[in-house]
Amino acid sequence: MIQLRDITYVRLGTRDLEGATRYATDILGLEIAERSGRSVYFRSDAREHTLCYFDGDPGDHAVAFEVGTRAEIDAAAAELERIGHPVHAGTRAECDLRKVHDFIAFDDPTGNRIELVWRPQMSGHGFRGTRDAGITGFSHIGLCTTDAARDEAFWTRVCNARASDHIGDAPLLRIGKIHHTLALFPTNRKGIQHINHQMAGTDDIQRAYNFIRERKVPVVFGPGKHPTSSARFLYFEGPDGMVYEYSSGVCEIDDEAAWRSRQFEAAPRGFCKWGAKPDIKEFRS
Amino acid sequence: MSIASDSSLVEQLRYVHLGSRDPEAAARFAEERLGMRIVASDSGEWMLRSDLRACTLVFSTARTQAVGLQVHDVDALERAAERLAAAGIAARRDDTLAARRLSKALLAFTLPGGVDIELVVRPLDQGWRFFPSREIGLAGLADVVLRSTRVVEDEAVLVGALGMRVADWVGDAAYLGFDDAHHRISLHPSAATGVLAVEFALDDLDELMQAWYRLLDANELPAHGPGRRPTSEQAFLSFDGPDGVYFGFVAEGRTPVAGERPRQFAPQPASHCAWGSDCRIAEYGAQAPVRGRPHLRGVES
Repeated sequence: MIQLRDITYVRLGTRDLEGATRYATDILGLEIAERSGRSVYFRSDAREHTLCYFDGDPGDHAVAFEVGTRAEIDAAAAELERIGHPVHAGTRAECDLRKVHDFIAFDDPTGNRIELVWRPQMSGHGFRGTRDAGITGFSHIGLCTTDAARDEAFWTRVCNARASDHIGDAPLLRIGKIHHTLALFPTNRKGIQHINHQMAGTDDIQRAYNFIRERKVPVVFGPGKHPTSSARFLYFEGPDGMVYEYSSGVCEIDDEAAWRSRQFEAAPRGFCKWGAKPDIKEFRS
Repeated sequence: MSIASDSSLVEQLRYVHLGSRDPEAAARFAEERLGMRIVASDSGEWMLRSDLRACTLVFSTARTQAVGLQVHDVDALERAAERLAAAGIAARRDDTLAARRLSKALLAFTLPGGVDIELVVRPLDQGWRFFPSREIGLAGLADVVLRSTRVVEDEAVLVGALGMRVADWVGDAAYLGFDDAHHRISLHPSAATGVLAVEFALDDLDELMQAWYRLLDANELPAHGPGRRPTSEQAFLSFDGPDGVYFGFVAEGRTPVAGERPRQFAPQPASHCAWGSDCRIAEYGAQAPVRGRPHLRGVES
């Protein structure tokens, strides 16, 4: 079984690298780690980068998960090949682009590009951000699925993910104590559905709501509170149709054996206990 | 440790009386929107309950408004009368009004700016727990917001004669306390005089945000908020009520420690909301709300 230790970064193609960079810094509040050639790297926490926009197809998304050892990368590659997922071994140049020691890439059953990385680079100095947004770090993503049951089986049987809860058919999956690091949302496409950054507190979410609105960026859901993870949230639109989320207060699951996955309805009440209604395609029933 | 000042004559905020063009409609508003219970209605006067106090809100056809404050006993009432007289304010005992306010004794006076205050002794409490008419998390009357043309003089009377404590100032607006809460009364400079808002506590922030979404679902916009006050650190939501009075919910908030000094904040919207919420209340420095819903770039579906 592939042991995913953490979610590491997201890579997104864009035709407007300058626009995406302006958004990531001025709106999201991330910090530029590096501009190199046709890529811009952004920091959100102690890691060297957690988001990379590169000049390319806006439909080109990849998400990386960290594994513990070099041997685990090899074992994962063998297992993935065995069950019919062709594996690409990262070249030295590709590793350098991702600032990792080694990695492999493959597609999940929906066709989402997944990278398993070993020794991703940390930063030597603290994250400050471009404004006092309250960001504490990149935390999870929503991933598109064209068959939720099939993909849930992949992530929970081939990998070490566990379903913390379901909203309709969408599983919220944990790979550690945090309620979810990956959520699969049924839709008709592949790709990353939303990207979450954690905030220091509820006040930061509420301030962000007014900050985002004043800058005429569409808020697509919230502010609200998830009945599943208890996180306060705000979803808003990003470049190329991406949805970004700020949240705070996600619960942790300390007792693996005692936790029972719960089923919530695929309706506004399953997504928000304050009464917010999502304007996000994959969150509508 | 209690932060109540020894010299404070006032022990509790008890009720707010609001004259109304239509007291029954106002009472129904309080029942439906605030979750209060109508406890009595007699000759055009409607009394409502929000907590263990027998009555915290009164609507009547009178063209007046008043704030009811509890003092310890009749001796305290007499001391208050003396101190008010020394400040040049005439106060009158009114036994008829005391009975109508479900109290043993009552001393009425008017602040320099024109707001009526009623000091009451032994106002009625209820032994049966409060059961709200709507499940909105109502935890009781929290504070009353006053506006006045003479806030500095009003503050001097409430602090000097009644022994209230200034918790914080925002410009010339004063937040006044007398128990463990940050404030129970706030006074805001205005071209008009009277009750600007009556605020009720909710159990938690979840209830407050649910109240906001209920408001939006009813196609109404808040008057201010949801937001958080930098002064008291209360989360708040203010909305329109009957007769031009705002009503509000508050949740969470800070309990000042003993000996804390009042702070001076600038008279600007940011001093009234740390979240940057829209505001259409002039006394809080109303700014125009954001309109429109532009898009970044088309979302492919």
